[in-house]
Amino acid sequence: MNSPSKSALIAELGELRTRLEGAEETLRAIRGGEVDAFVIESAAGPQVYTLQGQDAEASRIRGEMLAQVSDAVIAVDDEMRIFYLNAAAERLYGLAASHGLGQSVSKIYELRWLHPGDEAAAQTALCERGEWRGENVHVRPDGRELNVESGITVLRDIAGQPTGLLAVIRDVTERKAREDKVLVSETRYRRLFEAAHDGVLIVDPDTRKIVEANPFMTQLLGYPHDQLVGKELYQIGLLKDEAASQKMVRKLKRTSQVRYEDLPLENQRGQHQEVEVVANLYDESGHPVIQCNIRDITERKRTEEHVRMLMAEVNHRAKNLLAVVQAVAVQTAKHGDAATFVSRLSERIVGLAAGQDLLVSNQWQGVEVSDLVTAQLAHFKDLIGTRVLLAGPAARLTPDAAQGIGMALHELATNAAKYGALSNSEGRVRITWHVTAETKPRFLMSWLEDNGPKVVAPARVGFGQIVIGRMAEAAVQGVAEIKYGDTGFSWNLSAPLKNALT
Amino acid sequence: MEAAIAARVSTVCVLRLYVTGSSPRSVRAISNIRKICDEYLQGCHELEVVDITQHPMLAKSEQILAAPTLIKMLPLPSRRFVGDMSQPERILLGLGLRDVPKRTSLAGNAGPPYR
Repeated sequence: MNSPSKSALIAELGELRTRLEGAEETLRAIRGGEVDAFVIESAAGPQVYTLQGQDAEASRIRGEMLAQVSDAVIAVDDEMRIFYLNAAAERLYGLAASHGLGQSVSKIYELRWLHPGDEAAAQTALCERGEWRGENVHVRPDGRELNVESGITVLRDIAGQPTGLLAVIRDVTERKAREDKVLVSETRYRRLFEAAHDGVLIVDPDTRKIVEANPFMTQLLGYPHDQLVGKELYQIGLLKDEAASQKMVRKLKRTSQVRYEDLPLENQRGQHQEVEVVANLYDESGHPVIQCNIRDITERKRTEEHVRMLMAEVNHRAKNLLAVVQAVAVQTAKHGDAATFVSRLSERIVGLAAGQDLLVSNQWQGVEVSDLVTAQLAHFKDLIGTRVLLAGPAARLTPDAAQGIGMALHELATNAAKYGALSNSEGRVRITWHVTAETKPRFLMSWLEDNGPKVVAPARVGFGQIVIGRMAEAAVQGVAEIKYGDTGFSWNLSAPLKNALT
Repeated sequence: MEAAIAARVSTVCVLRLYVTGSSPRSVRAISNIRKICDEYLQGCHELEVVDITQHPMLAKSEQILAAPTLIKMLPLPSRRFVGDMSQPERILLGLGLRDVPKRTSLAGNAGPPYR
């Protein structure tokens, strides 16, 4: 048998010394009353007995019960050091009890209050009532923010002195996120409902009474909100009578949607409006509701009517214009050769087109005299203000007058350039118009030339003469006077005011 | 001397504290040993707290007779302290930290405002 080596003996001695010191330390602590539990070996394994008379089994059961609680439970001493945390707290804050116990609570989360004043209120509640309940935010060391609902109770010893705090903490982060989402959605759709430029009514299908109305509905009908709520649709003029209201609800229950177009509506102020109503039957958390969308289509109907009228007018005028073009072509063809015909016809059609442009740009509502003159004298625009002088008040010609006078102005300008005041370098043209102050006022328009070459009446009546004469007269049912005087050519048109101006 | 102190505190100190649930002495022991760790071993210690009512077999394997018991696992040699750790001088001496200056103040670890 080998004797142990010296080094093995030293190691064994060290081990024995350590165990002896441990045993002495245990004895010292037991004698000093510093321990509160013993571990006893038994056939069933190690058993823990506490000196408070409460055996370890009861403590274990209590611990297991708290471990099953889904809320986090944390107990801290009077220095805010954790001396208990359950399994839910371990999960919530992401740390094991073995590392959390004894830690300052500020190491496992940073507290953030939701509103100014919450902190002071919590302190007051803990001081005065020994408990506080409320919501705040716990920020974990990894930065994750937890919205929590906490119930905090002051722990006291047998003498009633505070020894720490017990907190039961519920993680409501997901619930808060859902609530926030619902709130955002509610705000968004509430804004849509309130700002909509369509009327919206919510109706109870059982009572057929209005339960909610948006502000535009009040504007549309003239009823204040509180007078709309509680009424049936026929009572606010939306449907003819109670029977119509019942019929709508019956149909809605069958088809889930009802649409009324061109529904005449009389508001509280007695004004008539055209509305379009679309009613839908929805399920709202298990209860059926009717949503009616009411659109004011008065303006749309007016526009549609206007478009129809315009189309008819355009058709009528197109036919008239074609008749005029035909007449111009026939008359132009009577004089001169083919080349002259083409040239003259083109010029006249350009003149017609200029008048047409003005009428179209004014939506066939008439043309200002000055605009018509300027358009027809477009070739002489550099002379306007010097050799071509315009004078007259603002006056709007009817479409017919504008067409006839426009063609006449075109002929007058062409003739002046060829034979009259605009054919030399000194001649001038004065174009004036005004309305007489008679009982039956008349519209007068003049084209006066002077300083031009001597003019003589043409030997034959050409188409130009017809345009400035008969056609102009026909357009306004007036009288045209043409003179070839010593001082120059003049043209005067006189017509009843109502035939010439709008 | 200073180099020796630096060497001592830079070595990771592994401690295990055996307690019995939240009994008063266990609560005090936890709090006292955490204070010592925060003040003298900040950043260079690992402290594990074991509840022997939940894990009695762990008590057996370490031959724990009474609780609270603190075992210095590392650095060797192993040392054990029994009681509520209310005599910090004795613990510091046993851990070899008697002449090590405090590393931090507990004022920085103040708890939540509802304290």
